[in-house]
Amino acid sequence: MELFLMTITTGVMVGGIYALIALGWVLIYKCSGVLNLAMGELTLIGAYVSLSFYEAGVPFVLAVGISLIIGLILGILTERIFLDKLIGEPVLTVIMVTVGLSFFFRAVVEIIWGTDTRVFTPAVFSMEPIRIGFLVIGRVYLWSFVVALLLLVVFVGFFKYTKWGLAMQATADDEMAALSIGVSARFVYAAAWSIAFMAAGVGGSLLGNINGLNISVGYLGLLVLPAVVLGGLNSVPGAIVGGIIIGVLQNLCGAYLDQYFPGGVKEIAPFAFMAVFLLFKPFGLWGWERIERV
Amino acid sequence: MSTTFLPCGTYHENYSQDHAWWQTGFVKGKMILLFLFLFVVFPFLEPYIAEVEFIGGVFSFAVFIVIGYYVLGALGVQLLIGYCGQVTLGHAAFIAVGAYTSTLLILQFPWPQFMLDWGLAYPVSIFVAAVTAGMWSVLFGLPSAKVKGFYLILTTMAAQFITVDFILTQYVSQIGGRGQAFSLPPGTIKIGPWLMDSGIKIYYFMLVLVILCCAGLLNLLRSKVGRAWVAIRDNDIAAETMGINIVKYKLFAFFVAGFIGGVAGAFWVSNLAAISPEHFPWFLSLWLVGIILIGGAGSVHGAIYGAIFMGILIEILNQFIMITADVFPALLMRSMFVKDGLFGLAICGFLIYEPNGLAYRWWQAKNYFNLWPFSY
Repeated sequence: MELFLMTITTGVMVGGIYALIALGWVLIYKCSGVLNLAMGELTLIGAYVSLSFYEAGVPFVLAVGISLIIGLILGILTERIFLDKLIGEPVLTVIMVTVGLSFFFRAVVEIIWGTDTRVFTPAVFSMEPIRIGFLVIGRVYLWSFVVALLLLVVFVGFFKYTKWGLAMQATADDEMAALSIGVSARFVYAAAWSIAFMAAGVGGSLLGNINGLNISVGYLGLLVLPAVVLGGLNSVPGAIVGGIIIGVLQNLCGAYLDQYFPGGVKEIAPFAFMAVFLLFKPFGLWGWERIERV
Repeated sequence: MSTTFLPCGTYHENYSQDHAWWQTGFVKGKMILLFLFLFVVFPFLEPYIAEVEFIGGVFSFAVFIVIGYYVLGALGVQLLIGYCGQVTLGHAAFIAVGAYTSTLLILQFPWPQFMLDWGLAYPVSIFVAAVTAGMWSVLFGLPSAKVKGFYLILTTMAAQFITVDFILTQYVSQIGGRGQAFSLPPGTIKIGPWLMDSGIKIYYFMLVLVILCCAGLLNLLRSKVGRAWVAIRDNDIAAETMGINIVKYKLFAFFVAGFIGGVAGAFWVSNLAAISPEHFPWFLSLWLVGIILIGGAGSVHGAIYGAIFMGILIEILNQFIMITADVFPALLMRSMFVKDGLFGLAICGFLIYEPNGLAYRWWQAKNYFNLWPFSY
């Protein structure tokens, strides 16, 4: 029982980090209808930028703030250089451009920062975990959870109550129709990418605090996909719930299935679960069900 | 089947002309010259070209074998993405299944002695590997009955991670207590009387496989099946209302794509003589998709052009880095990353400025000459 509760708690906390990255992911989908396969690399860039500034002596919060500004600039640049010309193109083309971008960004990160693991020194969060009864919770996880919830509120409010948010949703729903009623697709793309860069930067900075930072942290961006799919690609609360479900599931599999299937069951469980889940609920829990007619 | 305009003054008079692969005498002559070059002239010249610095490395058997492997791998992706509209980002998994099936059959299966003597073990294992990979592909194609677009991308990604990172790495590659890497002892890869031990033999083997797979796929595409695939790609709901059993045809597309992927994997074994899960990363899946996007989605020769472009480009880059290593040693250290970055930029550039790929340019050039002097 104790093991079970502990596993669940860890799962929820890890799920908080997934939810954080998943938020950036859903956001770009909700704003521009694009499946951004470069999300892991955006996470890396944000994390490395804040790491570099932190190592140069800037306080952590300020370093993250700088990474946010740089993310904003990079987002606008990405839009101007790569995505501007793709407005009105089929969505698949844009998805494949994000694949190309992911290669490019990863190469840039590797060229600039190398492939060695780097850690935030001195550690930002104290190693001393918080104890509630017999439950032990790492501070990093707790903070990530709080930030994820905070961002959730901000984003839901943004989409529901601001003109920009509504314009972004309209573009995602039908780009051509949105263009014809005067929504600036360039602005929407730029905003979406900037926000995704910034969300990924925060997520990456927190992730980097857990086990240090190397290129494989970028693959966490992929591990987040099952979470997003589970919640439904275009639901912001769905990303949080999906992230937590996937985190819990992953830890449960690690705790209980590892003895039967030794090896990487933990890494693969989300994907296997997602493949089966899609068979029964193809649009996730809260995704838009598109009804198609000929 | 003709997507090319015929030259002025050339007409078809019966169906067999209309259905011919090579429609005019000029095309026939051109293709014969191409085959002559590939089968006779190039193998004869290769030792001399390989001596030349810089260019020699680019045009050697080794590079052509890699290009052949890319072609075989990309054909399946081309079928799924270009012809059937089922976006897949996990094709390396099926190639890996093919490679592992073939290797395990050669190493572990109790072949009768006469088959070993006649060199039948490897050819038979290629076929079995292809069928196994096809079945495996169908298994992961099953969600395509219900989901499409983004969600299918994610399920095929799941195929990649489940197959390569879990099943192959954790279980299959432990068979026989070899640890991670399987190696095939010399003398085990044998087709008939030929031992696959030199570049030229693998090169010929590659040519035969590529031609067989291309011919098989092209013939499928111009049959009822191919039309059903194209209908599904263009609008699957409309296709269903026309009476096409879309689940059946989608799964068949996955089977054929997996089959060709299996052939690619089994072929790659002959070149490497050793395999490990690291040879089939997710990167390879993306790479294959990149190849068909650069070559042009929706045409078999697009896969070939893309493979040639990427193969040659990477090799030129390699040679360039080698030559400039004295001046820029940092470039040599990070050559892998530079290549990745350029590959990413190439994909972006092609999608933005040349969305129809190289095959479209080739089509335009061909038609310009076909219609000349009335090329408007």
